[in-house]
Amino acid sequence: MRDAFINTLLMEAKKNPNLTLITGDLGFGVLDKYSEDLPKQFINSGINEQTMMSMAAGFASTGKRVFVYSIGNFPTLRCLEQIRNDVCLMNNPVVVVSVGAGYSYGNQGYTHHALEDIAVMRALPNLEVIVPADPLETVSITKYLATTNKPTYLRIGKSNELDIHTNKFEFRYGKIFELFPGNNGTFIFSGTVGHVVMEAQKLLQENGFNVAVASMPFVSNIDEEYLKSAAIRGPIIVIEEHAYRGGVGSAILEKINKLTLNVRVALVASDQNNLSEIGDQKFLRERNGISSENIISKFMALLVN
Amino acid sequence: MASALSVVDILSVLYTGSANISKNNSLNVDRDIVILSKGHAASALYSVLALQDFFPKDWLRSYCKNGSFLGGHVTFGSVPGVELSTGSLGHGLPYGLGIAMSRKRSGIKGRVFVVLSDGECNEGTTWESAMLANHHHLDNLVVIIDRNRIQSLSTTESTLKLEPLIDKWEAFGWDTVSISGHDYKEISKSLENQNKPKCLIANTTKGKGVSFMENSVLWHYKSPNEPEIKLALQQLNESYK
Repeated sequence: MRDAFINTLLMEAKKNPNLTLITGDLGFGVLDKYSEDLPKQFINSGINEQTMMSMAAGFASTGKRVFVYSIGNFPTLRCLEQIRNDVCLMNNPVVVVSVGAGYSYGNQGYTHHALEDIAVMRALPNLEVIVPADPLETVSITKYLATTNKPTYLRIGKSNELDIHTNKFEFRYGKIFELFPGNNGTFIFSGTVGHVVMEAQKLLQENGFNVAVASMPFVSNIDEEYLKSAAIRGPIIVIEEHAYRGGVGSAILEKINKLTLNVRVALVASDQNNLSEIGDQKFLRERNGISSENIISKFMALLVN
Repeated sequence: MASALSVVDILSVLYTGSANISKNNSLNVDRDIVILSKGHAASALYSVLALQDFFPKDWLRSYCKNGSFLGGHVTFGSVPGVELSTGSLGHGLPYGLGIAMSRKRSGIKGRVFVVLSDGECNEGTTWESAMLANHHHLDNLVVIIDRNRIQSLSTTESTLKLEPLIDKWEAFGWDTVSISGHDYKEISKSLENQNKPKCLIANTTKGKGVSFMENSVLWHYKSPNEPEIKLALQQLNESYK
């Protein structure tokens, strides 16, 4: 996913000399081609996220589109107030890009897990939060961000994620993308957990339940029409690789409350059972409740009650 | 109030000629940019901007009142001449650094002046920015430190020692001079030329010109009542005669 991002960004930056990429000394082997091809549109700030973020905001205030690249919590929680005051309040055209969503850096330990970032970024005014599901969404969203000016938080996975969409995927800003139709309920997910969700959908289908599956990359600007139609057909399960508190599930619950929709909703997110346990992404997802079994049991509970 | 009186001479020099910024060029891409990073001295900045006709002088009467644009900390959005909302220390310098870096890369003229409090030199972002400005040869960036030697709870030296402050900025690669922050000629002369990042350590008196505010920690927080305003204005008028 990070390659999909950087390759697209490089293509866009070659067309737009005002586009600049700033990194906090991360992206070994990822940003090399960009920095070699476009040294004048590239800055390695060093290891100084707070200064980097204010600097990016000042840089962007001169009429440039700035992408700030780092991993995990470094470009978000580490420099939260800089994003709040210098990017959001000043409405500067900065895109904060964090690689390593959720448990992507699984065995590197909790310091490298991004599990509270959506909640915190979502709380900021003027900041769009976007969580693509796969490389295909990442390409379209990066193209979109390169040619627009809104302050944005872009949360992407790491490497080797498989596409969840087919090549027929048609990008439209602000939409929830349905991958699979169904009439018994809807699974809405954000981020790279799509394959876990599809597994649950498949098992349910084998047992006679048809559940729709949809990716929702636009977390702070929710597709209300889709949500309204999903609310009519049955329970909604929201799946994300993030803590329960304040994440995508909370965003959907807030929207349902705002629209006063009458629908049963359950969230599947990280329980954060043991912050010290080491393991790879798949292991930690399962250990913390992000599994197809959990999706199915919550769906069945809402269906029969 | 005392924080505003220590920095107002510096701002006056910047806005009356040392910086190429006025009501008429305030939206030009190559204007000089002044950022008051010590946002708690907003009343000084607002007074100078009003006197330079950036906005009507009667706005000053609305300072900190309901519905006003002029708050206790510098607030961007509705106040002509304000470049950045400040009030959380340690933001102005890295933000100004970003502007200076972008301009240098694009060949846009116009310097960036960032006015810091000396207490702001406690912030890590100040020193991170100092490193970056030198590394990127930003000869269009100027820092002016309002060296009034008092921060929030006590003196700077008893809180977190800053001295030897000149040596520190020098060591970070900045052309650094120590001057009087109340001497208009000395301030403007020190700002004339530069070929690398420049730092003026402007020695000032907190509460300058008002006997009961001078060097007082209490007056970092306090706003004067009517009799105190009367006395303060009397003393200020005397000292500026």
